[in-house]
Amino acid sequence: MDLLENIGRMGRKTAMSFIETISFAGMVIFRMFQPRTYNSAMRTVLINQIYFTSVQILPVFIFVSIVLGSFLIGIVFQLLKQMGLTGYFGNVLMGLIVAELSPFFTVLFITLRSASAINTEMAVMKVNGEIKTLEIFRIDVINYLLVPRIINGIISLVLLSSLFSIVLMFSGILFSWIIFDISVDVYSNILLSSANFSDMVISLIKCAVFGFFITLIPIRFGLRASREFTSIPIVVSSGMVNVFTAIIIIEVLSLITKLF
Amino acid sequence: MSREFKVGLFIVSTTIIILAALLYLANEKGLFAKVYTFTLSSKSGDGLTEGMPVVFSGFNIGKVSTLELNDKGLVLIKIKISQKHIKWIKADSAFILYRPLIGVARIVVTTNNLNSPPLPEDKIVVMETVNDINDAITKVQPLLEKITKIADNLEHLSNNLANPQGDLNLILGNAQKITTTLSTKKSLLEMAVADEESVQSIHEALKKIKDIVTKIDKIADKMDVQLYGQEGTLPNINIILKDIAGKLQKLDTTVDNINKIGKDTSEGMKDFRMLRSDIDDAVNAIDNVVKKLDNLISSKKDPEFKLP
Amino acid sequence: METNRHQAAPVSIDVPLISNQEVWMNIALIKQYHENMPRLQAQNMVLNALQRLDLVHIAYKRNPSLTNEERFCVFLLRACMVKDAIVMIDRPFKIIPHLQDIDFIFQTLKKIDDFYLTCHIYDYQWMAGKYGEK
Repeated sequence: MDLLENIGRMGRKTAMSFIETISFAGMVIFRMFQPRTYNSAMRTVLINQIYFTSVQILPVFIFVSIVLGSFLIGIVFQLLKQMGLTGYFGNVLMGLIVAELSPFFTVLFITLRSASAINTEMAVMKVNGEIKTLEIFRIDVINYLLVPRIINGIISLVLLSSLFSIVLMFSGILFSWIIFDISVDVYSNILLSSANFSDMVISLIKCAVFGFFITLIPIRFGLRASREFTSIPIVVSSGMVNVFTAIIIIEVLSLITKLF
Repeated sequence: MSREFKVGLFIVSTTIIILAALLYLANEKGLFAKVYTFTLSSKSGDGLTEGMPVVFSGFNIGKVSTLELNDKGLVLIKIKISQKHIKWIKADSAFILYRPLIGVARIVVTTNNLNSPPLPEDKIVVMETVNDINDAITKVQPLLEKITKIADNLEHLSNNLANPQGDLNLILGNAQKITTTLSTKKSLLEMAVADEESVQSIHEALKKIKDIVTKIDKIADKMDVQLYGQEGTLPNINIILKDIAGKLQKLDTTVDNINKIGKDTSEGMKDFRMLRSDIDDAVNAIDNVVKKLDNLISSKKDPEFKLP
Repeated sequence: METNRHQAAPVSIDVPLISNQEVWMNIALIKQYHENMPRLQAQNMVLNALQRLDLVHIAYKRNPSLTNEERFCVFLLRACMVKDAIVMIDRPFKIIPHLQDIDFIFQTLKKIDDFYLTCHIYDYQWMAGKYGEK
């Protein structure tokens, strides 16, 4: 009986948390489309956030993209050659690597670097009473803290993922030449014929959704901290677990979208 | 360089790169090119679908946009050709609906004289149809008859093998009798000492069995070559079957019969192996008896012994 | 008080600075948010205000690296950014515990008296001695 009660309680809690997250997301989206949200203070935060999330890590990100992308392309092309599937390398490059793996690697990168930082930052602000300060000075927490971080998440994910894809395609030129002995002209023709607009649009939308949730969830969990410092690790760890769950759910949903 | 400048530079340059890539893709895919619409007519809309490719010399130059039925019952097919490929569509161009045996159906454009005037957009051109499936069925028909004959023969052969009154089963029966006789000690002595002819008959029986096995092997080889060889029947049947499986239900019976023959043959072979090992055992037993008899004869002064 | 709620400008140890922002951003935040003042204009305004208190050098520092006096001045300047501010200083000796008397606070208030409408100081009764009252 206790077990059933516990299961029921856990299910109810999970469902409530999910509904709360969705309604919170709805409210944030609504604010995102209100022009008065975009005041000077919010813009300053937004610029700082984009700077820390994207610009500051750009050299490292490009370096990682080149190294990781080259290895990935090299391994995949080699496998295709061994399996006699050379004819499908365009589809694999566009459909798998560009449309699926680059958003995934980017979201992992940003989550590990920025989402964890946002989660902790929010928790510390709550514990220090800084959130209360904002409220006392009638500064809307959603407009000032949440919206710029979420917009930054969306912009950074879309741009960095696209950069990753472009770097991958350039690595592809080199590897297709080494492994398949394919010239640049033939390579670009194969890519063009394999490129699918709807896949690219889905991929970009997926990046935007990733960016939205990998910033929204850490903020939400960060703000759940109490006035005690000991609550910080608890909200950070549960926030990060939820972010990774959200990433998996979005990935699965995008795959389902592609099926239809 | 201020933080704002760096962020602005990052956003603008990355957006430009992404937009340039998308625009290049869209341009290469012909999204911005002017599109010309031509109308074809056909008596039947069979095999026609919207989005079907229009090809010229194997290259995609356009696609079917809409299909509609006019007042006379003719199917009107509107095809869209991008400006880049409009030069291939001339007044004397022929449009053929090509439905290959393998692969998607397409409308093939052939233009004999590229110098002829361009095809007006309002002109309705009659489309012809090339149907690989029907052509293939016509070609395959005589072949099918031959295959049916072969299948009948195979069935006859398998029936003979499976018949309890057939030659093979009689031989198996005889062999069983011989082994039964060999297994009793009494008749072994008879055969070993008194009746030399019996041993000979076993040898002959063995020889016969060997011949039969060889013959069956040959038959099996022939069947194999006939059925599975490079020029054999089955590979051809398989190729044809892939596309016209639905129409060739008769072949199912043939394949079943072939399986049955294979099974019967393998069972026969199993029996032969068992028989041969029985006979080997029997010969060994006889050999042992002879040795014992020799010992007996040589050890006793009186070579007389009683026969049962 | 309820009608002037939007003018309320608290200066208190319980209303801390935003720790991940520099001093000038903490002060400029009110003007940028409520009056949508452009960043550069707000920055210049804050630098001028800090200049009046001889504190320009702390403009790009963050909360933990400030002294108690500096922190009080930043609290005060931030409160003054509220439009028609009614500054309410809550237990000033809690913000600057080592102060012997209220003179420093009064002098600071005087230097920027054009930034606010009125100022109220709240403290415990037994702290009256620190305010020169007997």
